[in-house]
Amino acid sequence: MSTPAQSAIRVLVVEDDPHLAAGLMENLRAEGYEVAQVGDGRAALEWLRAGSCALIVLDVMLPELDGLDVCRTLRDQGNNTPVLFLTARGDPADRVRGLEAGGDDYLAKPFHLKEFLLRVRAILKRWDWYRGASATAATAVLRFGDNEVDFRAFRARTWNGEPQELTEKEAMILKVLAEHAGEIVSREDLLERVWGYDVFPSTRTVDNFILRLRKRFERDPANPRHFLTVWGVGYRFLAEGEP
Amino acid sequence: MKATRVFQLTALALVLVSAVQVGWWLFDQHGYTLERVQAARALYAGQVRAAQALLAAGMAEAQVRELLPDIEVTGGQAALAPAAERALESEAVRRYRQYAWEGSFFLLALAACIAVIGRALRAEARVLAEQDDFLALVSHQFKTPLASLQLSLETMALRPLAPEQSRTLTERMLADLARMEMMVTQILESVRLERGRVDLKSEPVELAGAVGRVVAALEERARAQRIALTSDVAPGLYVLTDPLALDVIVRNVLENALAAVTPVGGGKVAVSARVSDGEVALAVRDSGVGFRPADGARLFEKFSRLHPGGGSSRYGTGLGLYIVKRLMQLAAGRVTAESAGVGQGACFVLTWPAAPVPPA
Repeated sequence: MSTPAQSAIRVLVVEDDPHLAAGLMENLRAEGYEVAQVGDGRAALEWLRAGSCALIVLDVMLPELDGLDVCRTLRDQGNNTPVLFLTARGDPADRVRGLEAGGDDYLAKPFHLKEFLLRVRAILKRWDWYRGASATAATAVLRFGDNEVDFRAFRARTWNGEPQELTEKEAMILKVLAEHAGEIVSREDLLERVWGYDVFPSTRTVDNFILRLRKRFERDPANPRHFLTVWGVGYRFLAEGEP
Repeated sequence: MKATRVFQLTALALVLVSAVQVGWWLFDQHGYTLERVQAARALYAGQVRAAQALLAAGMAEAQVRELLPDIEVTGGQAALAPAAERALESEAVRRYRQYAWEGSFFLLALAACIAVIGRALRAEARVLAEQDDFLALVSHQFKTPLASLQLSLETMALRPLAPEQSRTLTERMLADLARMEMMVTQILESVRLERGRVDLKSEPVELAGAVGRVVAALEERARAQRIALTSDVAPGLYVLTDPLALDVIVRNVLENALAAVTPVGGGKVAVSARVSDGEVALAVRDSGVGFRPADGARLFEKFSRLHPGGGSSRYGTGLGLYIVKRLMQLAAGRVTAESAGVGQGACFVLTWPAAPVPPA
């Protein structure tokens, strides 16, 4: 399961159990990642103030400051580093809580090593795609109907001049829709591209995100001109707006 | 469990219905007595009228008196005799009193029943909630060592490992297993203590020997974590306790002290003993993470773990000190914990009644 050419990718493991932390680090290193580790929530925030990484593997039950708070604090600070939660509690309510706190994925203890590594790779791949797709001056900024979205800064200015902070998921959904402007994108495609896994119980989540995007960017969210619903299939994005 | 609950709820409903019934009966009896008194008065009024009519018809007063004994006739005027009036009043009062006594007795008895059943129901609900918490915590406690174990095994299965790495993983797995085993032991121990299913002996035990055995067993671990574990207990001190319980108590307190020192990168744990006022006090002082003085009592609660900034405190089950407290209570002793604050170390003091030195 080794994939070369990942030497530059750094992963931060935030886990207070020394054995589990050691096991995770050894395996991530064996996969070619560069790994750093801290043992509690406060130390994690401190580490992230000075350093940066491509992914945070974050235990939920941590001394000092729990994982959910760490993730919320990061997102509040505008840090969009992807987070993979590890937790001893795996019921759906906890899963949703983790994702609402701004996590990208959620793995319940005990977990399978292969699944852990697959999820790490999947999150990094999604971010790779997102960064690649926002790399040039032409793709970093999206303009539609007097709205302007900066994909790299996760910021937007809407048609009425209001500045907006975008969550990573909103930005990713916008990116997928913009890449396929004018085409129909199914809810399943959006789930697959943005979340990658069956983390949410239903495609309703996608609908909620579309509603949020409409509220932000449509002059009349009830009669959208850019984010159109294609009944029974999915969504279509029109940059110039529906005539 | 379910059937008991149905039974209790049915009994509660029946008792409540009975209480309402008694209340209604009281109210009904009160009305009935009132009615009876009024009826008697109406009857007497009729008799007075009849007596008056007989007198008017010319019947002799003596004859009227004989015919209607409750009516008094004086000077051609008929009236109810004061004795009859008094009898009526006292009968009414007697009945009211009787109802008041009987009614309040029944209501009191029923209220007692309701209180008893209500208490049982609440206690049961509390036990159920505690069991749920217990299960959630226990499963949570087990998942971390399980995850670590699974990770180690899957690493071995997935990757070719150097002998050195294999040895590290094996040691890690054995430690995880030992951790889980300790948890099982402590959980069973605490459940046994909770249900009072322990038969503790009370015999003179030599403290220095008991402490020495535990210290010897923990010395290697202390050394590995750069902790100086010292014991200064004078030989010949005897305490009245159960020898096995004493071993568990000392072991748990010392393990707690080691766990408190490990996260600060080493330090010392010192055991000492002194006698005063017919009591023997064993003090365990550590230079570890300490705790907020206000948290001193919480330390001994079931599943309380204070995580004062140290990672390895999470190794525990949160049951060790709870077991210490229960066992000390059963041994007529007590345990206290003191710390000047987080990062200031802590001191645990175990106190037993001193025992006379047994004849050799």
